[in-house]
Amino acid sequence: MNENEIKRLVKILEESSVSELEIRRWGKSIRIAKHPSNSLPSATSPSAPVASVPAGASDSNASSDTENAAPAKKSGVEQKSPMVGTFYRASAPNADPYVKVNQVIKSGQVLCIIEAMKLMNEIESEFEGRVVEILVENGQPVEYNQPLFIIEPV
Amino acid sequence: MFKKVLIANRGEIALRIIRACKELDIATVAVYSEADADSLHVRFADEVVCIGPGPSNQSYLQIPRIISAAEVTNSEAIHPGYGFLAENASFAEICASCNIKFIGPSPTMINSIGNKSLAKETMKQAGVPVIPGSDGVLKDVEAAKKTAAQIGYPVIIKASAGGGGRGMRIVRDADAIDNAFNQASTEAEAGFGNADVYMEKYLERPRHIEVQLLGDSHGNVVALGERECSIQRKHQKLIEESPSPVITETVRDAMCDAAIKGARAVNYESAGTIEFLYENGEFYFMEMNTRIQVEHPVTEAVFGTDLIKKQIEIAAGQKFNWDKKYRMRGHAIECRINAEDPSKNFRPSPGQIKSFHVPGGPGVRVDTHAYAGYVIPPFYDSLIAKVITHGRTRHEAILRMSRCLEEFVIEGVSTTIPFHQMVLEENDFVNGNFDTKYIERFQEVTSFRN
Repeated sequence: MNENEIKRLVKILEESSVSELEIRRWGKSIRIAKHPSNSLPSATSPSAPVASVPAGASDSNASSDTENAAPAKKSGVEQKSPMVGTFYRASAPNADPYVKVNQVIKSGQVLCIIEAMKLMNEIESEFEGRVVEILVENGQPVEYNQPLFIIEPV
Repeated sequence: MFKKVLIANRGEIALRIIRACKELDIATVAVYSEADADSLHVRFADEVVCIGPGPSNQSYLQIPRIISAAEVTNSEAIHPGYGFLAENASFAEICASCNIKFIGPSPTMINSIGNKSLAKETMKQAGVPVIPGSDGVLKDVEAAKKTAAQIGYPVIIKASAGGGGRGMRIVRDADAIDNAFNQASTEAEAGFGNADVYMEKYLERPRHIEVQLLGDSHGNVVALGERECSIQRKHQKLIEESPSPVITETVRDAMCDAAIKGARAVNYESAGTIEFLYENGEFYFMEMNTRIQVEHPVTEAVFGTDLIKKQIEIAAGQKFNWDKKYRMRGHAIECRINAEDPSKNFRPSPGQIKSFHVPGGPGVRVDTHAYAGYVIPPFYDSLIAKVITHGRTRHEAILRMSRCLEEFVIEGVSTTIPFHQMVLEENDFVNGNFDTKYIERFQEVTSFRN
């Protein structure tokens, strides 16, 4: 069982009224339990929606864990990754990031670096506009066509 | 042993490799194209990485993306499956230079065996029987006559610079050789701008019989019997079985010995297969494949072994102990079920599978990546399932296969199941009386009806 699967299970637990989960597989087992606090749901607090996850399926983003928990999507176009590699926001560990949220950028402007096979590749923006959201974290592995930025065209 | 392996393939073989890894307690990484997002190998792997859009050359053949996927997931080894990059020496080399173990032979081995004429020469030097032929180009008619007398008729004269039937003449006796040589040379000149021709012994009705090999990194090589793969259509195998219904124990031993000699000559490592052409008690080296093959399950059935696990163990440096007492037990047959319409000249039939029910019962194995609701993408080969039956005798294995093909329900796409059913009922097939041209003749004689 890997970290991402465990994160998924924790999320399921958090968003449901189940308080304890134990899973056994291939001779290994894991048990996750909720802290018993405010165990009775109060009438005034909104109940969290129960996430429905298809049994046994590992969805295509499982390895990269980029899914925003909040379903609301910011308006704009997605700048996707053209390659497989590791995402970096700046050209070097101590350098300034190429772009920040709310920054206005031009088409062709370098947004980030994706490292693949020990080579640093500059990823240029396909769009012109304002960076509304950065969807991945520094140092995170990304796959082909994974959305990296949301850009609101001006 | 590896902690994590990336599978650089798709479909049923990717699933096969994932299963072996799980049983060896190895974490799995699947790479997939966008067209394969709902594929079973993606669902069964521990981690998945999308490497491109549908077309193979933009995804499963994209070496940098695959290597990158291995790096970001910290995979220690890559299993290439069959097809795609399995016999790509550059890929094997890049893996090595990136410190990723390629589960297969070394780049040098792939190169030397992949070069057909070099391979033939190497095998000849090692004492493996090769198809007798002229030593290179035939100088003139006299040379042709001499060579033909040496080899023995029938012979075939072929253009050096081309193929496709042009510049080829089959000669059955000495009287016809003058004309044949001249015609072939003229045709070769006209077709390829090069009149050079060479000669080989012509096999009228050869059978394709191959030997499965395993070599570890400590110099041990074993031959795991043979597979009969003569039921082919346009050089694509449709039905395979082990053991061959026709060869004797003596021939089997000779073939296995020859195959081992050939493998030792190149210090072969991992799983590989040497393909022979067999006719009238004689066999000749045709080619060697440096990968696991589609039909490996029939060998697994008769030997009770797991070849993929063996490949992984060999790659991890383990020495295998192959008990010499291991013998083939019973008989196994495999049918390759393709999404093709046999009544329309085997036209591919991609689309959504509406219902899918696999056969079962004793001695039955089904390797498939398909399921009810699965959409067969148009970008890849049409293989959707392999059905393997194992019986105590060939007769039982055939009966069992017929039963399975009746039970197997695939709706929504056309499949080759009706065609397989017909072949299995043919007297010639049941009597083991067939060769590589069988399906051609079969199709001519029986106009296939749904």
